[in-house]
Amino acid sequence: MDNNQVEMLVEELEVGNKHEEKLWRKLLLGVASGATGNDLRETIREPLFGLLHELGETALGAKLKLVIERTPTFPTAELLPLILELCGELRHDSEQAVRGLERMLSELATPIVRIWAEVLLVPLIGGLDSDRAQGMAERLLERVSTTRAKVVVVDVTGVPTIDTAAGGFLIETFSAVKLLGAEVILTGLKPEIAHTLVKLGIDFRMVAIARDLEDALRQAIAMIEEERSRQRKTAWVRGSNFPSEGGEHDGI
Amino acid sequence: MDGKLRELLDISENDFDVVVRITREEDIAIARQMAKQLAQELGFSLADVTKVATAVSELARNIYRYAQTGKIMIRKRLEESGGPTIQVVAADRGPGIESVDRVLARGYTTHERSLGIGLPGVRRLMDFCEIASKVGTGTVVRVEKRRRKF
Repeated sequence: MDNNQVEMLVEELEVGNKHEEKLWRKLLLGVASGATGNDLRETIREPLFGLLHELGETALGAKLKLVIERTPTFPTAELLPLILELCGELRHDSEQAVRGLERMLSELATPIVRIWAEVLLVPLIGGLDSDRAQGMAERLLERVSTTRAKVVVVDVTGVPTIDTAAGGFLIETFSAVKLLGAEVILTGLKPEIAHTLVKLGIDFRMVAIARDLEDALRQAIAMIEEERSRQRKTAWVRGSNFPSEGGEHDGI
Repeated sequence: MDGKLRELLDISENDFDVVVRITREEDIAIARQMAKQLAQELGFSLADVTKVATAVSELARNIYRYAQTGKIMIRKRLEESGGPTIQVVAADRGPGIESVDRVLARGYTTHERSLGIGLPGVRRLMDFCEIASKVGTGTVVRVEKRRRKF
């Protein structure tokens, strides 16, 4: 194959743009140079990878078929393992990207929001399987402990189904939050899920249940108020030696 | 019991609308999604769609937890006498269940992070539930749910 043949082939390939034309020329000239083994692979690797990106597997396959038909001396045997290798690399890249997205999703999908003084809101979204849920639970416990939150509102409006694994996970999380001295209010249970929970025998009565977020917030504020009035009472009983105990959080 | 298990383990995949192979944790969600879709296609009520999806989720998780690999097969049956029905078969060649009666009692589990209410729960979520299992051979659970008439 000489340079003229390369030009004719490039012509015949009906390339879509200048970039693709450049890649084909580079690839074909690399083959035409007569290099073999590692040298050949090094030269054609880059244009081939570029073409794979540019055209996709199917279109590249069709065009390579044409090239091979026109060029009896084309080193098909050298090309094949290289292409497999490149496809593997591409797949690896996309797997990497998917994993990255999964990680991002796991952080995006489970925000922990402070909606009132000493009240945290955890809106759960999606399935409660696996690592994502586990990571959420750990972050929640961390937040409860560092912010000294008194009430955690868990909203499961965005959870499509709760099976025994998801239910078990929620119960574990609730118990852990309670061990840190905070109360839990569960809200957002849909009627169809409520029915399923009863059938499964999953019991959420260990925590307070609210009809909706509004109700949950009201209950949370009531819990905090009650706690404060108890503190004030203790301070009053102890006398004026501890004047700051009840007063420091007054007014929300 | 032995013949039944073999018969169910050899059941042909071609007879089913959907076959989901369970090998990774994400496959549980896929099986659940498929079950949900088929139940919706059959016109199940929202509550029953959720029940079917939850039961399939439960069965898929059991496969993943105890047998590591297996498959969930789901089909729609329109010509059943009791009305349109969804049938699910969960099959694995895992360790098998020592005593089926015991796993159907609440609170029995061999897994440390489990509530032990999965299989009895499945039985209550569905209309029909049959379990065939042999230690060392595998486990097959077959469940059904009919569309309720209103």
